[in-house]
Amino acid sequence: MNEIKLIIADDHKLFREGLEGLLKKHDNIKIIKSVADGDEFIDIVKNQLVADIVLLDITMPNRDGFQVLKELKTLNSTIKPIVISMYDDGNYIAKCAKLGAYGYLLKNTDESELILAIKTVSKGKKYFSPEISEKMINFMSTQSISENVLSNKETEVLGLLSKGLTTNEIAAKLYVSSRTIETHRANILKKLEVKNTAELIKKAAEMNLI
Amino acid sequence: MSIKTSILIIINSLIAFVIVVLAFSSYKEFSNVLNDRILQQLNSIKTLKKNQIEHLIQSEWQKFESSELYNQNSDSIPFILPDSIKKINGIHDFTRYHPNKKTTIGFILNTKKGALIKILEYNKIKNILFERTGMGSSGESYLVGSDYRLRSESRFYPNTIPYTLSVKAENAIKAFKGKDVFNIRKDYRGIEVYGVSSRIEIKNLKMAILSEIDVDEVTLPLKNLKERLAGLTFGIFLLAVMLSLFLTRIITNPIKNMQKSLKIMAEGDYNQTNDFIKNSTEIKEMFDALANLKASLQGAIKFSDDIGKMNLTTDYQLKSTNDLLGKSLLAMRDKLIEFRNNEENTRILSQRMLVNGMENERRRLSRELHDSVGPYLTSLKHYIENKVENEKIKKEMKKIVDDTIAEIRLMSNALMPAAIDDFGIGVTLTNFIENIKKSTTVTIVYEDLTKQENSNITNHQAINLFRISQELINNSLKHSNAKNIRITLSEFDEFMSLFYFDDGIGFDVTTIKLGLGISNIKERVAICNGKVTINAAAGNTTFEIELPIES
Repeated sequence: MNEIKLIIADDHKLFREGLEGLLKKHDNIKIIKSVADGDEFIDIVKNQLVADIVLLDITMPNRDGFQVLKELKTLNSTIKPIVISMYDDGNYIAKCAKLGAYGYLLKNTDESELILAIKTVSKGKKYFSPEISEKMINFMSTQSISENVLSNKETEVLGLLSKGLTTNEIAAKLYVSSRTIETHRANILKKLEVKNTAELIKKAAEMNLI
Repeated sequence: MSIKTSILIIINSLIAFVIVVLAFSSYKEFSNVLNDRILQQLNSIKTLKKNQIEHLIQSEWQKFESSELYNQNSDSIPFILPDSIKKINGIHDFTRYHPNKKTTIGFILNTKKGALIKILEYNKIKNILFERTGMGSSGESYLVGSDYRLRSESRFYPNTIPYTLSVKAENAIKAFKGKDVFNIRKDYRGIEVYGVSSRIEIKNLKMAILSEIDVDEVTLPLKNLKERLAGLTFGIFLLAVMLSLFLTRIITNPIKNMQKSLKIMAEGDYNQTNDFIKNSTEIKEMFDALANLKASLQGAIKFSDDIGKMNLTTDYQLKSTNDLLGKSLLAMRDKLIEFRNNEENTRILSQRMLVNGMENERRRLSRELHDSVGPYLTSLKHYIENKVENEKIKKEMKKIVDDTIAEIRLMSNALMPAAIDDFGIGVTLTNFIENIKKSTTVTIVYEDLTKQENSNITNHQAINLFRISQELINNSLKHSNAKNIRITLSEFDEFMSLFYFDDGIGFDVTTIKLGLGISNIKERVAICNGKVTINAAAGNTTFEIELPIES
């Protein structure tokens, strides 16, 4: 089995040393470099240092984990990043996944899981534990990104408008203020390029929005 | 001195002056005319009598001269004439030679037969002199000899021999010199009289005729006139005083009323509503002007009262372009508005700085916990993994460290989630509520309608929205017994809206105190220049918070 060449990028010396101590016990994992910030890491990447995996912290001086992920993408680097962070919120995980992280680990992850993640990623697979995955998915499910002309909320407002509900009724139903509904309505009118509610219903029907 | 007194004095002294001058001048005129009339009358009487006497004596002389038959011998004369007289032919005054000094006028004619002497009958002269037509009751005419003694009988002393009465020389002197005299003088009685005198133009007869009338009699009408004039003057004056009193009442009463009104107003009371009798157009207008003044002052007072209570939205209509009071009040209001705004701005600014300082401190602490203490703990965990041989102890120790790290994470997030800086308010609230949901049975639905990219919500606003949401959720969970919480954060081009709903028991907006953190929420909305609408009905408690997009 090939030796896995590893870089650790974290600003905490104590953490790096602890991690090194932990990984030293595993013969097929070799820590070839340990850096304290993002810039330093990108420098060695640019110097064509050959490595398989980087254990990357998000919170670092000079260049944080997110920027490093972006830079790796730009540089078309073959180094596979595993983010190892204190943050356990879905948004951090989702963002890292989106930026090309191969795995996401919490810093207090058990040794066994850490090794499993390194090994999985070294085979070119991604590793997200069930808990991490759940957090990520929970987060992403709250994000209502619509590909349509109207946002999801605007489509909802439009539907209620077409049923003949007043602004106040819609506001109460959607748990927003009346002014919010008025603004949504105004934005819908603008987006569909119509002047009043009657025209709006007609056009929306034509566009199959309702 | 009051107006009333001034008017009274001026009017009455003017009237008194006019009346007195008129009365005096008419009296003077009348008196002059009377004098002239009297003297003329006296003169004409005197002249008539003089002529009559002259004529009588001349005619008697001619008779005596022509008829020698009647010639009396000198012997028949009861007194002795000196020879020097006897030698002179003519008419003579023999009175001084009469033993009883009886008035005697005699004729002497020296003829061949000797000196003829005749005594003129005195009664003839007396008749002429006693003719009293036009002489009133005190008038008399009499003759005076060259010795200034009376020759004719006095009306006033009929029993006295005229010779014993003498007149003042100056009354006759001019007459003897041939000049007619008119004047007021003292007669032989020592009584003031009007008198005229003239010489009897008969050769050798040195006599003057005097006509006199008592001043008292003549001036009797004058006295009456004087009294009447005085009475009239007094009457007119009295009438004038009364009229002027009445007039001053008409003029001064409204002035007094006005004075009273102004005094009350000067004491600061503008609410008096006294009605006054307005008896002329000018005075009516004056009172209307006073009423207007009062109304405008009341307006100004109400306005300043409002300003005093800091009701700075009150407006004031200027009464005219010269309404200086109104202008300064308006200027004062504007200044107060400015001051209040400045004060409010300063207050919000300092509040903002205070909150920012506090939030920065929390952020620092949160980061410190998360980024320093956290990694140390992970290092500790690594140490345990590497050094601890006993699997059971190792597992227990790792558990304690993991729990500590989890606690640190909670504390850090509660202090200030790092996501607020890295991901913005929408995501932060999503994470925050996901975490809360783990520890409560209340259904919390949060909708993040902020812009995913290019959000215009500032970090400052994000922190305050986060704190407000924290506070609201905390209140609902602690106090409201709500089953459902709905939170929507919408972001638009112009503003953002945080809508918060729970179906709890609600609260009384007017009595709620600091306890529920409502004032804290209001404070944070204020420092973000936003507005908050609270509806605290049971079963439908809503907070509508709106902040402007600052770009």
